[in-house]
Amino acid sequence: MTAQDIIRLLIDSFWKILLPGLTVTIPLTVIAFSIAMVIAIITAMVQYANIPVLKQIARFYIWVIRGTPLLVQLYVVFFGLPSIGIKVAAFPSAVAVFAVNEGAYCAETMRAAIESVPSGQMEAGYCVGMNYLQIMRRIVLPQAFRTAFPPLFNSLIGMVKDTSLAANITVAEMFFVTQRISGRTYQFMALYLELALIYLIFSTVLTRVQAFGEKKLNSYGGNKI
Amino acid sequence: MALLEVRDLHKSFGDTVVLDGVSMSVEKGDVIAVLGPSGGGKTTLLRCINFLETADSGSLVFDGITHDMAHISKKQISEIRLHTGFVFQNYNLFRNKTALQNVTEGLLIARHMDKAEAEEKGMRMLEKVGMADRASHYPSQLSGGQQQRVAIARALAADPEIIYFDEPTSALDPELIGEVLTVMRQLADEGMTMIVVTHEMDFARNVSSRTIFMEHGKIVEEGESKAFFESPREERTREFLRLEDRRF
Repeated sequence: MTAQDIIRLLIDSFWKILLPGLTVTIPLTVIAFSIAMVIAIITAMVQYANIPVLKQIARFYIWVIRGTPLLVQLYVVFFGLPSIGIKVAAFPSAVAVFAVNEGAYCAETMRAAIESVPSGQMEAGYCVGMNYLQIMRRIVLPQAFRTAFPPLFNSLIGMVKDTSLAANITVAEMFFVTQRISGRTYQFMALYLELALIYLIFSTVLTRVQAFGEKKLNSYGGNKI
Repeated sequence: MALLEVRDLHKSFGDTVVLDGVSMSVEKGDVIAVLGPSGGGKTTLLRCINFLETADSGSLVFDGITHDMAHISKKQISEIRLHTGFVFQNYNLFRNKTALQNVTEGLLIARHMDKAEAEEKGMRMLEKVGMADRASHYPSQLSGGQQQRVAIARALAADPEIIYFDEPTSALDPELIGEVLTVMRQLADEGMTMIVVTHEMDFARNVSSRTIFMEHGKIVEEGESKAFFESPREERTREFLRLEDRRF
């Protein structure tokens, strides 16, 4: 292939790779991360509130998920479950695994953030007559979220890139499509660099969103006293 | 009838006895200063009375109803807290709320007051403590003295029958103490019932109606403030007052 051919290939394939990025990678990330956040907040609060049994379940969940590889978890769900009669399509399998996996990591982020809110905030809430859940929702969680925001964005950016693992369970996302194009054209270097560039563009957009979000959240001076 | 009565309150943290049988009675309109060396149990006394700490034993009579302080239900605690205010040493303003929102939060959420009414009341409370012009400032944008005045406005907003002050000026720079004490003095003049744990001898001497001296978890001496300072009965009280005087 001449340099010109390679450039034409890169231009042609750019849209072919970006399209599954927009229709698979982003929906997969958004759906899975949203579910992960719900799991994380519940798991963190259960531990913070020290609810017996539920707290042990939370610790067990975090222990197992953090202690096993994401790729193995994907295989267990997609290739393993059918052998005991549970068949789930590739995309929902990926959503479930990414949500449960990310939930465990974000739960620890949220727990640390909630614990970083001084106990005086809770006490002041009690003293004006509010109950535990009201104080959590209106005082503690908003402050914890401010603290958790940068590390949560770390997780989100990490997850965008980790979705490439879903190619292993036949989800036709960006990596999967790039593999097929490069298998056909043998232009591995050019195509995988192109794929890397597209991931970098996604991450850059998210980094900007993070900066904007932090600015918004800083309107009350962050968590300074 | 006393507004509030504490009977034989005991509290230990591990092996350390912090409150060793404290009893006290507060009449409506009383301003009680609680003095004593650090670690004497003053703050723990206030925190137990408002159930921020659970007492080991003791009873609290509030508004004529007797409660077992070690086994009181959450419901009863919230009921009592609707009639009390608490001002912390470190202010503890809600950091994610403006000054006005700090004052209205309890009204809106715990008392379900409607927004316009709560804000109108919140502004009145901020005016009372001289903070109306800072209503939309966040705590991080206010000085310590200003934060503490907002905290007092927050405590006042609920029309409490009594306000507990836990060393309200101890975290403040000397030049900011005055503005907070002025507000507290004004409340005392208006007849607000207050228990004030403090190291401010002038406040105890000149503003409070009664003074309590605590040490080692016990009340050593209590009496009318005038008599307490002019002719303390206990040798330990005299010694404490001498040392406090020498500090200045």
